Amino acid sequence: MNKKKLATVWLGGCSGCHMSLLDIDERILEVAKLADIVKSPVVDGKDFPEVDIALVEGSVTSDEHLAELLHIRKNTKTLIAFGDCAAMTNVTGMRNYFDLKDVFETSYVNSISNDQEGEVPDNPYLLRLHDKVLPLQECVPVDFVIPGCPPNADTIFYVLFEFLNDRTPNLSEAKKLKYG
Amino acid sequence: MNRVDFKNIIHAEELKAKNAPTKHKIFVCCGAGCISSGADNVMKKLQEEIKNRGLEDIEVVPTGCMGPCNQGPLVKFKPGNTVYQKIDCVNIGEVVKSQIVDKKPLEDLLLFSEHREKPFVNAEEDPYFKKQLKIALKDCGDVHPEKIEDYLLHDGYKALDKALFEMSPEDVISEIKQSRLRGRGGAGYPTGLKWETVYRHVNDQKYIICNGDEGDPGAFMDRSVLEGNPHRILEGMTIAGYAVGANKGYAYIRGEYPLAIKRFEAAIKAAKKLGVLGKNILGTNFSFDVEVRIGAGAFVCGEETALIASIEGRRGTPSPRPPYPAESGLWGKPTLINNVETMASIAPIILKGGEWYSEIGTAKSAGTKVFALAGKINYAGLIEVPMGTTLREIVFDIGGGIQGDGQFKAAQTGGPSGGCIPAEHLDVKMDYEELMKLGSIMGSGGLIVMDENSDMVDVARFFMEFCVDESCGKCVPCRVGTKMMHDLLQKVCENKATQLDIERLEELAVYVKECSLCGLGGSAPNPLLSTLRHFRHEYDTRVQPVRKSENLVHQ
Amino acid sequence: MMALVTIYIDGKKIIAGSEKTILEVARENNIEILTMCHLKGLTDVGACRLCMVELEGSPKLFSACTTKVADNMIVTTNSERIRRYQRITTELFFAERNHICAVCVSNGACELQDLGYKVGLDAIRYPHLFPQCEVDTSHPLYVMDQNRCISCSRCIRACAEVEGAYNWDMMNRGYQIRVISDFNTLWGESTTCTSCGKCVQACPTGALWAKSIVQGQQDKHPEFITDLMERRKMNL
Repeated sequence: MNKKKLATVWLGGCSGCHMSLLDIDERILEVAKLADIVKSPVVDGKDFPEVDIALVEGSVTSDEHLAELLHIRKNTKTLIAFGDCAAMTNVTGMRNYFDLKDVFETSYVNSISNDQEGEVPDNPYLLRLHDKVLPLQECVPVDFVIPGCPPNADTIFYVLFEFLNDRTPNLSEAKKLKYG
Repeated sequence: MNRVDFKNIIHAEELKAKNAPTKHKIFVCCGAGCISSGADNVMKKLQEEIKNRGLEDIEVVPTGCMGPCNQGPLVKFKPGNTVYQKIDCVNIGEVVKSQIVDKKPLEDLLLFSEHREKPFVNAEEDPYFKKQLKIALKDCGDVHPEKIEDYLLHDGYKALDKALFEMSPEDVISEIKQSRLRGRGGAGYPTGLKWETVYRHVNDQKYIICNGDEGDPGAFMDRSVLEGNPHRILEGMTIAGYAVGANKGYAYIRGEYPLAIKRFEAAIKAAKKLGVLGKNILGTNFSFDVEVRIGAGAFVCGEETALIASIEGRRGTPSPRPPYPAESGLWGKPTLINNVETMASIAPIILKGGEWYSEIGTAKSAGTKVFALAGKINYAGLIEVPMGTTLREIVFDIGGGIQGDGQFKAAQTGGPSGGCIPAEHLDVKMDYEELMKLGSIMGSGGLIVMDENSDMVDVARFFMEFCVDESCGKCVPCRVGTKMMHDLLQKVCENKATQLDIERLEELAVYVKECSLCGLGGSAPNPLLSTLRHFRHEYDTRVQPVRKSENLVHQ
Repeated sequence: MMALVTIYIDGKKIIAGSEKTILEVARENNIEILTMCHLKGLTDVGACRLCMVELEGSPKLFSACTTKVADNMIVTTNSERIRRYQRITTELFFAERNHICAVCVSNGACELQDLGYKVGLDAIRYPHLFPQCEVDTSHPLYVMDQNRCISCSRCIRACAEVEGAYNWDMMNRGYQIRVISDFNTLWGESTTCTSCGKCVQACPTGALWAKSIVQGQQDKHPEFITDLMERRKMNL
């Protein structure tokens, strides 16, 4: 049997979902039997190749994320929104109630923890934040969603295992839905 | 005052009118449209003019709306029914000189003179009026709204007299049932049936409410009746009170109509003084009192349960029905709620009989309907036509067609709760059922005509914006659903939407329609649904086939 | 003596008192109808539209919490259409305000979360509105967080009908409605609030919570309101 190609990506999120992914512990071996993890924050490799399954953590907060996501969508068969941020912006989206300018000022200039005068960084090499944080589905079609902040390791494994065996998981029926 | 006194008063008034030397009466339209184009000043100038010319025996009467509002200010001369249009303080002098002194009509200023080869000296002969049949609006434009004597001369309170002395409450109800009159507020529920339901509920205390919370953008039917002939409404309410056994009525008039409120309150006072309202009306055991309640500018308060909440002094939000107000309404008592136009139709039905009324109109919708014509039409204003008149007749024969060289594209009926009727359905017979079939509603009678330059998606967006503002926020489908639909429509207007957004819109529209608590939410998706149905291509041509990066940000 | 009627809910024949609502009868017979604004003991307002059911013979939907049973009524609570609408309502709840379960006191014990699980909601298909909302921390014991409010009005009714204090009310219209204390003043400065905490217990989400509570620890007992009202009825 052909091994599938699996990628995991970390956009605008806290990497907690990836931590939870690592919590599948020894079951990673079962995943490894069925798939090669070709791109991930935890493996080497700079490029995003064509893959069967991509777990995308975090929301789209900047032009860089957007470009990355469009590239992923083009090269992925099954794109999975991984965690609450990817599904509904969650904590990452908490800045959506404010003006981006205020967010910058609060973070870099008026922050209580500033021990010296701060300034808003302005460097062309830094990513350009969008006014509003968006969940993945507002940017590209998404094939499956695993909510949760973070999703349980069991849930992650269940979803991966089903997809790797060419079945479509059903979180609701499996009683594995969880937000927060 | 007893019945004999009342008859004597009417007789005296009639005698006075009859014996007076045939003198000119000049009627100045003081409807909302004419006032905003300067009727007040025309009125003052006219009185000066008459005084200066020594024509003091000529009576100048301010009246309610005469109909062709955008031709105003209008001035009508009687006898002869000669109507002059676009009168101002300069040309009023010429008109008086020509009409009264020289006894020769001034053709250039006659009504519709710019569109007719030979304008009619007697305006009633003009197709604009000939195609119409005025029942609810009949005396608007002929009576002084603040003079009860004037109303008495136009068969005023005769229907009440007839109901009280010649008919039992059951007779009145069966007369209304026979007339097949249906609620003119929009939903078209049979009025007689409603009266009967309230009548059947046994209770010491029942209420009559007249719904004058006319909130549709572009609609001013109720306003014109309230301002032009308030006694007609009062008479209708009193007859309703007698029929169903209520002794108290409330006229709920929106606060944006200060003149209507003022005139209605004056009418209540005059009617009480005359003895046709208040304790022991015309010497009978029947007592009926009416109070005005002023709406505070919420569209949702036109919904009957919200209106009741508002009268009770609570937040104007609707509540689920059943129980219907007929069973448990104002302060938990059986309550009859009818729209202003419905109330205005009661007196003629009682006087001329239900059969007479039922013969007008179509098989399922009897009688006449008042429409407020607006938009890209030549003669915007207020018309009343028999049910079943085609849209083509209304727009082209009465409304004078589309402004300039424009083409008719669509007509929006029923305001934010209604839908658009495209050109291929111009021959639709306007009644409740036919409009429903086309995905629109009769509504309260707003009729906005659009030409080929109108953007139908933007029309849907505009009405949705109205519903977002006016949703009371009680139920989820209306509160959040209308906002979602508005944002998605905005996206379509900005050419940023994708096919997914159109699908979302379609799904939400049906959901909001079926799940909302009251009629506001239940009909809010209608403009969207009907434009999707009749003008789908305008949506499809704007949808972005591929998501472009700059189109992604949805807010 | 209450008249008895026969009704059918999802094919099940049930004999019930005619004064009862469809929802009451369904719950007594272990038929699940989803609700949010309903709390037994408080007046039903039919606001959340989750309990919509189909009645045979009518194309319209009816809210089970406010519709009384009638003889030979045939009720469907679980058609494809009903389930689809329940899902949309739930999605709109989530999309309307800022429900961030990860940082919420009620995480894990929230009726809105449970509702999402029940309707199988994995993602919200509509754009979030992301409104800017106030958090009122002025009360010594409790917090009102508008971000998490679903405008079900259970707090308002609990305050008015159970406590009789009338502290809470609604202001504004449409999606801008807000639950307010007194005449839109700070809760801590309320002259009507008795600090009884019934509103907190009645609140289905983390919009009202006790100050001593941290994330995920607010355990609520709305059934206490029901219990209280039943005891009062018995005493009468």
